[in-house]
Amino acid sequence: MGTRIKGETTMDFAFSAKEEAFRTELRTWLENNLPQGWLDGTFPLVKDTKDYELFLRQWQNQLYEGGWAAIAWPKKYGGRDATLMEEIVYHQEMVRVNAPALVNYVGIHMVGPTLIHIGTEEQRARYLKKILTGEEVWCQGYSEPNAGSDVAAIQTAAVKDGEQWVINGQKVWTSFGHMADKCFLVTRTAKFEKKHKGITCFLADMHQEGVEVVPIISMDGHHDFNEVYLNDAKATDAEIIGEVDEGWRVIIALLMHERTGIGAQVFTLEQQFNELVDLARQATEDGESLLTKQAVRKSLMDLYMKTRGSLLNYYRNLTKSLKTGQPGAEGSMDKLLVSELTKQLLAQSISIQGHQGLLWKDDAVVGKSYWQDNYLYSFGQTIGGGTSEIQKNTIAERILGLPKDMGR
Amino acid sequence: MDFSLSEEQEMFRNYVRKYLNDLEQTKIARNYLEGNDVALKSAMDGLAELGCMSLNIEEQYGGMALAALDLVPIYEEIGAVLLPGLLLETLSLVVPLLQKYGTKEQQEKHLPKIAAGQETWTIAWLESNSSYRPAGVQFNAENGLLNGKKILVPDAAIADYTLVVARTTAGREIAGITLIIVPTSELSVQPQLNIDATRKSAALVATAIPYDTTQILGTMDTGWGILQEGLLAFNAALSSTIVGSLDKLVAMVTEYANIREQFGQPIGRFQAIKHRIVDMKMELETARSLSHYANWAYDTHAPDRVEAIASARIYATEAFNKLADHSVQIHGGIGFTEELDCHLFVKRARFYENYLGSTEQYYEQAATALGW
Repeated sequence: MGTRIKGETTMDFAFSAKEEAFRTELRTWLENNLPQGWLDGTFPLVKDTKDYELFLRQWQNQLYEGGWAAIAWPKKYGGRDATLMEEIVYHQEMVRVNAPALVNYVGIHMVGPTLIHIGTEEQRARYLKKILTGEEVWCQGYSEPNAGSDVAAIQTAAVKDGEQWVINGQKVWTSFGHMADKCFLVTRTAKFEKKHKGITCFLADMHQEGVEVVPIISMDGHHDFNEVYLNDAKATDAEIIGEVDEGWRVIIALLMHERTGIGAQVFTLEQQFNELVDLARQATEDGESLLTKQAVRKSLMDLYMKTRGSLLNYYRNLTKSLKTGQPGAEGSMDKLLVSELTKQLLAQSISIQGHQGLLWKDDAVVGKSYWQDNYLYSFGQTIGGGTSEIQKNTIAERILGLPKDMGR
Repeated sequence: MDFSLSEEQEMFRNYVRKYLNDLEQTKIARNYLEGNDVALKSAMDGLAELGCMSLNIEEQYGGMALAALDLVPIYEEIGAVLLPGLLLETLSLVVPLLQKYGTKEQQEKHLPKIAAGQETWTIAWLESNSSYRPAGVQFNAENGLLNGKKILVPDAAIADYTLVVARTTAGREIAGITLIIVPTSELSVQPQLNIDATRKSAALVATAIPYDTTQILGTMDTGWGILQEGLLAFNAALSSTIVGSLDKLVAMVTEYANIREQFGQPIGRFQAIKHRIVDMKMELETARSLSHYANWAYDTHAPDRVEAIASARIYATEAFNKLADHSVQIHGGIGFTEELDCHLFVKRARFYENYLGSTEQYYEQAATALGW
């Protein structure tokens, strides 16, 4: 231990010169390419409209043209071979400018990497470029009315009929379903004693007669989710990814591609915390800043500690990923902490506004309903992508070594 | 990006852990609370032989000149066994202050002995019905004489020296407070019972005890600011010690939930238990991240070090009380007994909650440092 130079520390939170150059390049590109008015918040944005969808598709295409659509993909498939740290920088910069939503999130972060990993060369040629350009937007057909947390309980059936597969069933909570051209569709093709066997994944076409998309309106008033009804929908062998009846492996492989985990949410949380402090500083009650109230200071300090803690936990787990070359089960801890904390922070943002926290949409006084909208949206965060309860089971079993849950 | 302890630091942890395992972990604390000081003395001698006492002391005084982060694994390990005694106070409050504000004579006199494990220190701050605030310091040290009473002085009976927070200019303000180095033997030590019998408190009484300027740490009347600087090192270290305790609590309940069966299965299969243990694990890891960062921030003089260190301390002390509580509940009836260690953790958690500064004050310190 005595060999170290005095004053030198063993930890390192800095980004390298190369990573900072990457940041500058992206930042410059964003400043030049974000739509007029985006950065100062005057860009008109009306969600849930066809124009909004077209705007998102166009943004996706702009990202592609600039080489920023899928930085983690290999260069030969249109990516940048970005390092893990470059991905972190990417998340930070996108959060910083509150970049438009990535309409092809499912394609870029899930389907694409899985095709690159286990798809055939024909499938890669057929799908990858259109994922990048936004020409084909993807959705995910996982959850069903009777298969939420228990994904392997799916009942949507695919039956081979001659050269075709005929698919019948219902999917639910399908994000982007109403905009999607393609669906990563999980079906049951056989019944075995173990329900993880007999699952097959299709790269299904959404624009066909047997597919009907019905909107679900969330509690925040927005249309993010859908039901997808499959009535004799068709697919071919060429549209199968992985092997017939071995789809569970594909699903697991797909999850493994989230190598920076919930990075974007961590940085969003950090940003929202800073915005909340600004809100408390600027908002006044009888001429006094809210930030002078003891109760507000205390609750903000609690959020500060937890927000810092979740960012630092993320960096600690990231360090482990950098050293071992793969993400660990700790990702479940990041997800649990950040989603729960996001809810807590946004609930606090309503509380500290007092009676004004009630006002919504056009009538909201503070930040054009920003906090109210995000507050309502946040309820989904501890449900989607694996509920908090499922994360806790994973952490208990995979990290702590506690016994498996009852019923499994 | 590298937010992890180094291999060398982890290696050192293993030496310390193995040594404390050989001493049967909390056995040292249990012996100490029963009045057996020999077990603690022998444990401290062993830790000194491993080099634990000399880590952050300058080389010219027999130390290794390492930093706060290098002490982290040691503190985590001593926290896991609830080691009694004044290691933390000596190494992470007194040593940084002696190195930064001590005269050459003071350094030469004390640092080599501390590095060799031959000298321990305590701190006398609180007074009857007082707070940790400047106004609470009324112990009189005017005219070269010590007069007054200090309470809740930690482990005074085994401390060779006491750092006395005294008033050299009358008043209630920050100015006028001085830190005075006093051999504990010159003061009257009156034991005081506290809920954590593994840390023995005492009242210290002085009646016209003379001292001279060579005993002043830093300069006269400016002791408050000096003390605050020392508390940065101390609180970073305290958070690490508590992280060790939290880690042990999570390990204890996990083991028990795997072994204990009810309704024909291990209780760890019930989500009411397993999810509670996960909640504990989450608090542990957040406390660990905040604590590691706090020590890094201390070592590197990071601009956010005051809020980082206060956060690590508050989060750790609050988590300690919650997790110790959970550990009793998860163990059920046996957790309520003196037989298991749960109660030792409950009591130590309370001991640290408002130790050398109140939670309320540290909240305010962090908020102010953040510019709120």
